[in-house]
Amino acid sequence: MQQAIPYKSWPPLHTKAQQSFSLKVDDNPLVSPPKVVLREGEDMLNMVSENAVIVFARRGCCMSHVVKRLLLGLGVNPAVYEVDEKDEIGVVKELETLISNTGKDGKVLQFPAVFIGGSLFGGLDRVMATHISGELVPILKDAGALWL
Amino acid sequence: MNSPSAQFVTSRRMGVYDPIHQMSMWGENFKSNSNLNSPASLIVEDVKLDSQSEDASHGISGPSNQYDQEATKPVDKAQRRLAQNREAARKSRLRKKAYVQQLETSRLKLIQLEHELECARHQGSYIGGGLDAIHPGFPGAVNPGITTFEIEYGNWVEEQNRQICDLRNALNAHVTDMELRMLVENCRNHYFELFRMKETAAKADVFYVTSGMWKTSAERFFSWIGGIRPSELLKVLGPQLNPMTEQQSAKVVVLRDACLQAEDALWQGMERLQQTLAETVAASQLIEGSYIPQMAPAMKKLEALVEFVNEADHIREEALEQMFHILTIRQAARGLLALGEYFQRFRALSKLWATRSHEPA
Repeated sequence: MQQAIPYKSWPPLHTKAQQSFSLKVDDNPLVSPPKVVLREGEDMLNMVSENAVIVFARRGCCMSHVVKRLLLGLGVNPAVYEVDEKDEIGVVKELETLISNTGKDGKVLQFPAVFIGGSLFGGLDRVMATHISGELVPILKDAGALWL
Repeated sequence: MNSPSAQFVTSRRMGVYDPIHQMSMWGENFKSNSNLNSPASLIVEDVKLDSQSEDASHGISGPSNQYDQEATKPVDKAQRRLAQNREAARKSRLRKKAYVQQLETSRLKLIQLEHELECARHQGSYIGGGLDAIHPGFPGAVNPGITTFEIEYGNWVEEQNRQICDLRNALNAHVTDMELRMLVENCRNHYFELFRMKETAAKADVFYVTSGMWKTSAERFFSWIGGIRPSELLKVLGPQLNPMTEQQSAKVVVLRDACLQAEDALWQGMERLQQTLAETVAASQLIEGSYIPQMAPAMKKLEALVEFVNEADHIREEALEQMFHILTIRQAARGLLALGEYFQRFRALSKLWATRSHEPA
């Protein structure tokens, strides 16, 4: 009998020597969202409040690429924070404290997670829906992510 | 006297089946009795018993001891015969059960295969290429989720044709907005139902959905991640929505641009997925004669494909919803009619195309 393929037990494609708060490197050097560098004493929650738009995504996730491209296409330069698999639970916990602070209870954090203007906006679904209905651009402008 | 008739009774019960079955049952008895007596000797013993009982009835005083001794032996043998008969009957029943079950499953398989053949014939699709998607794994295996979807889709198209007829009649008859609203609502919900069906089908076999296998050949030509591009549809059908106010026209243009942007973003994600999948597969190595241990990351990438299909349908759904916001009821009715007829024509085109190859040159 064939053994079931262990989905989680495969070794990572690239070995990582750096810390979990690592730099994100985009393919396209011309149009790349700003690299998120952690300064001494800074944490994720600060980043959320400091950036008009920030996307938390799993490393190598193709869905997060979609979100990035969509926002870039609108003229927004979102900050991107890439989460390693091993840090995922910790990141989720920390971000969920933000959700309860802003009173948006009942929203489960899913990656990719988009924060606009310091509060959780939603995932790819919500971004797509609001973009098509035309609500996204005004929201971005309000948050100061777009100037036109 | 009892034993032979009992055997006959059993075989009569089994008479429903072919004689071969009966023969095999008899064969069983032959085998089980081989250790003890042959049936021939059994029958002989019966005759002996009969004759003995007859003697006993005549001779009152007679050699009663001898009769007793001899009486127990035939009784034992009779008991044994009955037990063996019961055993044989039980085995026959079990074999019957297994046979019937086999027939049932084969029947179900046949229905499924016939249905798929029917669908494939209708669509005029190339069965060779379709088999890959319909029968994952070894030939003969049927994906029940996909079979269900195909049956449901057949019903969906029938209902769709009915709704298109209703819309056409209603618009020609100039019914009230109230009545039109009901038809529009039905049509709208009908489309949303299709999205739900596709979502389920994508979980069953994502490649079936991305290839648009349930669609007719001409429809499939326009397939973009499991369906048509919403921006494309808006471009083609937009003019048929006129007369519209300038405001409405502008909104439709804005909607189309938004769809284009969403589609492009999604497509870039797909290309990234393709790229990483290709890299993963290229990096796979043979480990102890098998690629499988290295395939796990590739498998994970393929799972992501389901999300892409869902997201593509999400864009379609949102675009449709937005159109309902922009248009009046009457315009929406006209739009839905145009949309329905558009695909009807493609289906007709596909059918025509499929039959044209059979015409003599």
